[in-house]
Amino acid sequence: MDGAVKKYFKLIVDNEGMESGSHADKEGVKDELQRWPLFGLSVGSFLQVINMEQQTCLLEVYRSADQQGHFSIVEGVLCKAICGDREGEDAAMEMISWENVRLNIKQILNTSGIERNIEKNLMLLLMESSRRRDEAEENNQIQESKVETEDTEEEELLVRDVERAQLDACLKILTKDMGDSLISGSIICIQSAKVLASYNIKPEAAALFNSITDYFRNAFAGGALGGGLGDHYVLDLKEKQTLVVLILGEYQWAIVFNNAKCSLGLFRNIIMPKVVKTFNEMNL
Amino acid sequence: MNIQKLNLCMDILRKDLGDGFVASCIITTEDGQVLISTDQANIASATILNDATTFISNAMKTYPTELGQYYYIDVAGNMAVLVIPFGNYQWTITINKKLVKLGLLLNVVLPAIINAFEDAAVS
Repeated sequence: MDGAVKKYFKLIVDNEGMESGSHADKEGVKDELQRWPLFGLSVGSFLQVINMEQQTCLLEVYRSADQQGHFSIVEGVLCKAICGDREGEDAAMEMISWENVRLNIKQILNTSGIERNIEKNLMLLLMESSRRRDEAEENNQIQESKVETEDTEEEELLVRDVERAQLDACLKILTKDMGDSLISGSIICIQSAKVLASYNIKPEAAALFNSITDYFRNAFAGGALGGGLGDHYVLDLKEKQTLVVLILGEYQWAIVFNNAKCSLGLFRNIIMPKVVKTFNEMNL
Repeated sequence: MNIQKLNLCMDILRKDLGDGFVASCIITTEDGQVLISTDQANIASATILNDATTFISNAMKTYPTELGQYYYIDVAGNMAVLVIPFGNYQWTITINKKLVKLGLLLNVVLPAIINAFEDAAVS
């Protein structure tokens, strides 16, 4: 780039005695920070001010010891950017995206040696940088959301494990009370049809009882059969077996027993209240 | 089917259940037609329960044991329904569960009405 400097640097900066680049390295970090005395404004804002004032200057940007670079601006036009190994628009975008930077402004006395490596105007670069920042934030939010979801799933699994242990304990009480009259027992989550605890029953059979409950619920929901399915139903089965299904909130207990060894009366008046009480005490 | 004996079945039921009797209906399982009913409003529920019996019977084919003599459904509120499938026929009885003891229904009334119905069916 050729042509003499038409306008000189007018911004108020305290950069006296900071012309020597090697001085800061020798004096350590404190001195380095003194070398870039401007802070509090973003790189983009500074570039816009320089652009509006049509200044010719070198804007040095410092983020950390290994993250620094500079912009060359001639009469307000951003001509060149260098940031580490990066050059041109890539370097400019990188530095514009930095936050909490320190800046320094130096005069450019002769612009003829500046090789332009940025063609886009400043506004386009700022807009592109803004778009990239939004994208990055969005991605971060998605990542955070994923992490939160995973945490929630883990917590839910833990709660389910505790519930299953409690439900297993409930079935053990039932087994103990009913002895050999108990043929099978299962506890199912009605909505998901998942078998949460079982005794001597295949999952398919437990799912079968759940499908019967679903059928009754739908049939009674129509209103023709009264005010909806109540809290239990009883199926008399062949081979002296009885199936009692208890509906306790979102759970279903399906208990099959030998009615020659345990009468339905005994089950409904002694066993069933105990099952309901134990279940309610679990506070699931 | 002896119609007089069928009506007698209903009389036995009313008498045994007393104030706990709400409604009753006997239908044919094949086409859901009503043979006898104490209450027109009860016919719809009897028809729905005919379908329910078909569903249960089909579902239980994958289970080691079949449906036996009856099933009993607790209904929200004061009602309960006893369903007795008889092959080609099905008897539905709606009771007030607060007024009818299940033990009486299943151990006294049920055997009596099954005998009465079988008597009516073969006559």
